[in-house]
Amino acid sequence: MTAHRILIVDDELDFGTTLAERLELRGFVAKAVGGAEEAMAALAADWRPDVVLLDLMMPGVDGLATLDMIKQHDARIQVIILTGHGSTESGIIGMQHGLFDYLMKPVDIGELIVRINEAGAQ
Amino acid sequence: MSKNLVPVSNWSLFCGLSSKDLCPRGRYKCMRNSLLLVMLAITLIPLSITSGLNFIQYQQLLREESQVNARWNAESAKATISAYLEKLEAAITVVIDTYTFEDLSDGKKLEHIFRQLKKEHKGLVDLSVVGPDGIQSAYVGPYGLTGRDYSDSLWFHKALTRRMYVSEVFTGFRNVPHFVVAASKKDPYSEQYWVLRASIDTETLDRFLALADTETLEDIFLVNDSGILQSASRYQGKAMDNFQLTRKPKQNDILIFEEMRGDSSFYRAVSRIQNTPWLLVLDQQGAEARKIWHSFKVRLLFTLALCFLAVGGMVVWLSRFLAGKFREADEMRDVILSETEHSNKLASIGRLAAGVAHEINNPLAIIGEKAGLMQDLLGVDQNFRYREKFLDQLGSLQDAVVRARTITHRLLGFARRMETSLTLIQLNDILQEVLSFLEKDATYRNIHVILQLQEHLPVIRADHGQLQQVFLNVINNAIDAIRNDGEIHITSRRENKKTVMVAISDTGPGIAPEILQNIFEPFFTTKGTEERKGTGLGLSITYGLVQKLGGKIEVSSEVGVGTTFIITFPVYHEGREGKSHDRA
Repeated sequence: MTAHRILIVDDELDFGTTLAERLELRGFVAKAVGGAEEAMAALAADWRPDVVLLDLMMPGVDGLATLDMIKQHDARIQVIILTGHGSTESGIIGMQHGLFDYLMKPVDIGELIVRINEAGAQ
Repeated sequence: MSKNLVPVSNWSLFCGLSSKDLCPRGRYKCMRNSLLLVMLAITLIPLSITSGLNFIQYQQLLREESQVNARWNAESAKATISAYLEKLEAAITVVIDTYTFEDLSDGKKLEHIFRQLKKEHKGLVDLSVVGPDGIQSAYVGPYGLTGRDYSDSLWFHKALTRRMYVSEVFTGFRNVPHFVVAASKKDPYSEQYWVLRASIDTETLDRFLALADTETLEDIFLVNDSGILQSASRYQGKAMDNFQLTRKPKQNDILIFEEMRGDSSFYRAVSRIQNTPWLLVLDQQGAEARKIWHSFKVRLLFTLALCFLAVGGMVVWLSRFLAGKFREADEMRDVILSETEHSNKLASIGRLAAGVAHEINNPLAIIGEKAGLMQDLLGVDQNFRYREKFLDQLGSLQDAVVRARTITHRLLGFARRMETSLTLIQLNDILQEVLSFLEKDATYRNIHVILQLQEHLPVIRADHGQLQQVFLNVINNAIDAIRNDGEIHITSRRENKKTVMVAISDTGPGIAPEILQNIFEPFFTTKGTEERKGTGLGLSITYGLVQKLGGKIEVSSEVGVGTTFIITFPVYHEGREGKSHDRA
């Protein structure tokens, strides 16, 4: 089984890069970007992730809009929202837009990997 | 907030006091009295005015009726006496025109005529013929007055000057009150006037006057202009007694005026009887002396008293009822306001708490990930000198992150934004679960937990974790309150068809009333300096969770005795699934 490719989209780059590093240590191929534009640039560069970990509240294009853009680009990419600003409403809207899961920060790395693997298996 | 509001029922103006001067009880009493006065005035004043107007109008009507009756009776009596006299005068005229002085001076003829007349004219006492010299030449009657000299009598001179004369009542030679009807005629030989005289006793007049007597008639009699009674009177005396009229009519008018006898008034009708020296006096009962008036007054007073009693009773009841309703409405409004205030306060603090939690979650995630990465790297490098110490420190750091995360997630739960999963739950099971967490702590502190759980309790629909949190918070608080050595009583039972309840009582020191009212407010804590600091969120989270599940939490406490929390939840009924509680 090849390692899942993970794209972390979070304006808190410190968080994104640290998480990417931890996932790399666990055998994933992970990349952290600071917003929607960079994420779309990464996708356009033919770097297709299996799973995207997406923050919800970001300056400029927010998480839900980014989700739509990713799904438009490639509907097979699974997206997990990972946010500190969780709400039931945004979770439901995300699910309606093809979201795989919805997790609250701070998250346990073990639990996150389980959800990533589940998403990657889709 | 409610203290600053003007109450719905502000009636204190009626009491001459501002609402600040009155305690709530005084205010409602004042309002009740004001309502009572206003309603009494509204109902009884028109009732009294109407009754008063009726009283005056009926009195006026009776007065007018009494005056009409007096007039009618007087005219009737006057007509009766006039008719009697006219008939007698006509008969005497026939006799005097038919016979000469000589014919009638014959005692036998006169006696025959007297008998004939007496048949037609009852009351006729005697009949006599008086010559021009005033000497009675012939007499038929009981007194034997033949030869009497009437030359000095007033009636004789009047009779000589008029063709027909009716005299005043006088006693004369017989000493009995009577009057005479006398006619004069000129003798064709001597060319002197002689007189035919008939005497009638006053009892005849009395009999005729008595015919006019009715229920409302007080007195009826005759009097002359000199103030001598011409007939017997019920109140003024017998014939020939003195009686002075205060007012007399001119000519043939009937004069009616009001007079007083003792305390009661009556109407007096006075009228002259034509061609006689008599005035007819008729006293008719005044309106106020009549039975019908008394009966009307009694009925009016009785009806009025009944109305006053009925209206008064109803108004008293209504004012109490309305004051009670106002009081209930005010109290209800106060409760709703304070509940709304409480809910609003919790909601706004909840929103604030959620905002804070969200903001903290991001840096917390960075700390967690950084510490996690450091742990990962130390896991890779086995040779680092301080590896164990660092791992130990990082473990503590991760624990702190988990603790902080728990708080932020609780805060979010308080703000009702966390996902919930509603399932059917048996309250007794949850209580047992929660107790299993706390058993060790309770045993360590020598606290006995006494359970009285009703079997086959109906299930409720709730989130398992949230329900655990509710009971965990309350029981934990009870343990903290007791500290060491005490009892916690936990009771569960079905309250009614719709609710189940759990009561948790402790034998702790109790809560002072001023603290009790703030107990469900966020960040309010009494666990200040002890080994465990409280967040002040436990009970407010509990309050929010219970409300969210459609339940109710109440607390009662007595200082020195203990505290009881009563939590009620709606029973789950199939087919009426959760509605508002499904959404977390």
